[in-house]
Amino acid sequence: MAQRYRGPRYRHARCQSVIEAVNLSKTYNLGKKNQVEAVTEANMTAESGQITALVGPSGCGKTTLMSMIGQLLTPTKGKVLVDGEDITAYSDGWKAIFRRKNVGFVFQHINLLPNLDALDNVMIPLTCHDVDLAQYREQALQLLAQLGLSERAFFNVEQLSGGQQQRVAVARALITEPKIIVADEPLAFVDEASAKTITDFFEKLRDEGKTILVSTHVSNLAKLADRTYAMKDGRMASS
Amino acid sequence: MKRFKNLVKYSLNCIQRYKVRTLVILISLGVAAAVFSSVAFLKDGLVEEGKLSLKYAPDITVQGISSGRQTFIDTSYVGLVQAAGVTAVAQRIWGYGNIGNSLVVIVGIDLQNTTISQTKFVNYTYAFPLESGKFLDPQSNNTVVIGKGVAELLGAEVGTLLTMYTESNLALQYTVVGIFNSDSSIYNGDMILMNINAARTFFNVPEGKVTDLLVYVSDIDPDLKAALVNYVARDISDWPNIRIVTKDVLLKAQETTYGDRSGFFSVVWYVLLISAAVIAFNQTVVVGHESKFEVGLLKSLGFSTSDIIQIRLVESLSLGAIAAAAGLTFGILYDSILGAPVLRDFMMGWATLYPSFQVPVLISAQTVLFTFAVTIVPMLFATVIPSWLNATVDPDIAMRGARA
Repeated sequence: MAQRYRGPRYRHARCQSVIEAVNLSKTYNLGKKNQVEAVTEANMTAESGQITALVGPSGCGKTTLMSMIGQLLTPTKGKVLVDGEDITAYSDGWKAIFRRKNVGFVFQHINLLPNLDALDNVMIPLTCHDVDLAQYREQALQLLAQLGLSERAFFNVEQLSGGQQQRVAVARALITEPKIIVADEPLAFVDEASAKTITDFFEKLRDEGKTILVSTHVSNLAKLADRTYAMKDGRMASS
Repeated sequence: MKRFKNLVKYSLNCIQRYKVRTLVILISLGVAAAVFSSVAFLKDGLVEEGKLSLKYAPDITVQGISSGRQTFIDTSYVGLVQAAGVTAVAQRIWGYGNIGNSLVVIVGIDLQNTTISQTKFVNYTYAFPLESGKFLDPQSNNTVVIGKGVAELLGAEVGTLLTMYTESNLALQYTVVGIFNSDSSIYNGDMILMNINAARTFFNVPEGKVTDLLVYVSDIDPDLKAALVNYVARDISDWPNIRIVTKDVLLKAQETTYGDRSGFFSVVWYVLLISAAVIAFNQTVVVGHESKFEVGLLKSLGFSTSDIIQIRLVESLSLGAIAAAAGLTFGILYDSILGAPVLRDFMMGWATLYPSFQVPVLISAQTVLFTFAVTIVPMLFATVIPSWLNATVDPDIAMRGARA
């Protein structure tokens, strides 16, 4: 008798986090006049305890590739394997659960919610978890303190500098203790001091065994990477 | 459960966070709910009042017609109404009269009505139950029984002498012998009852003529009664120069004037729908980008489509409920305490004739629930559907679209 399908592997468990992108392609406006092939047959691997960097000029498709790997964007072709399981085949609901349990995102455009203070922004990802938010408040404050923002925890995020905002975003990505961190140009709009804090923090996370995937054009961050992939015109140029 | 609590907390936080949006929604929906509820309460009150005023009305009213206009009817018609099923025929003379600055309805009732078989219908004390004093004496032509509202307006009580002026400005005096308190506040507010002969003198109606004839049929099973009324009405309608008005027609006329299909109510309904559409437009277009970005971001942080819908659902329900409650409160205060200024004149054309008359307001659970529904449902459509549409696209697309 066939085993009943009980949903994807990462329904409950956290992944071990070896990520493989296999022939990933993304074409925007497919079949229309303004069709754009953003990424073409990209292959890459990111392992736990490593920083994997994706480098390349602006507009080369790094963000699109990162979004596809993080399940924020459905590929036109190809698949993403996590510990050998094809997560691109997940339904929308399972993808949400996968992101919730396993992935922390840091965006190039920071993407904090306005009219909220730093602490509340950090706590947002916990809202969709079955947890008592009050118990995580201390943890969120500690994260902000580690990122040098203990005195800014109750500031409205609009009152913070770009660098401080990005540090809040890093804390937000880590509050759920994900195994995978996807950071898209995390140092793009960040001052030097903040960039150093974030870079140091990523090193610490690597030591903790997290899988860190970073797209960057900043050499300092790329230098930290254990593995680097270069992209050009939507294709992998080298690794 | 903790997760649901977190989502609810987030929803309520959104209401606080988007202050301008919240204020715009609360004001616009609140005004719509207030307009709708105050009209609906007043309409329900008028419809109910109409029903009460017709509770003891005759099954058929027969009026005279001359040159297409209503005129007195000859009392000789009484003898003709002998159709099977007719239990009583009463004569009535009525019209308007002045007492000081107040206009009242003076009704002369036929206390010795032509009773074919004795029934309760022509026992006027059912329609006009006395609060104090006694009812009219058929032999007395200078006594009146007045409504409770009239008594309050005039400061009259049993034994008070009322002076009323006829059309030819002749002052006639009547002694108040009783004060009635009917179910109908219209009757209480403006009606004075007197013997039909007294009314004949007051209105100078020629002998052998009355304003109308009141025909009562057997009080049997309602379905059979309707058929019997129609049969009698058809029979009477063959006579020349008369007009037949059945109780059913009067009820339908009232429903047409004040009911759900009345012109004014329809206008208010359209206004409400337009308001709701404007709010929906505001929500989807003006707040659309902000909302789209937030939906994309939340999804990227692990929220599912159903989480997003739950958040928006709670937000919309809360805003809609607050707006509806505020609107209802204002509607009730406007109708009950302020007496529905402006609206009252629209709803009751004759209201200006009776400045002392309290507008009938009926606050029913049905209308309250309906007001909540018409306030909340457009809000749900305006917020939940766009959120659902945004939530079903990839988070990256939603965020890029919002930034574009």
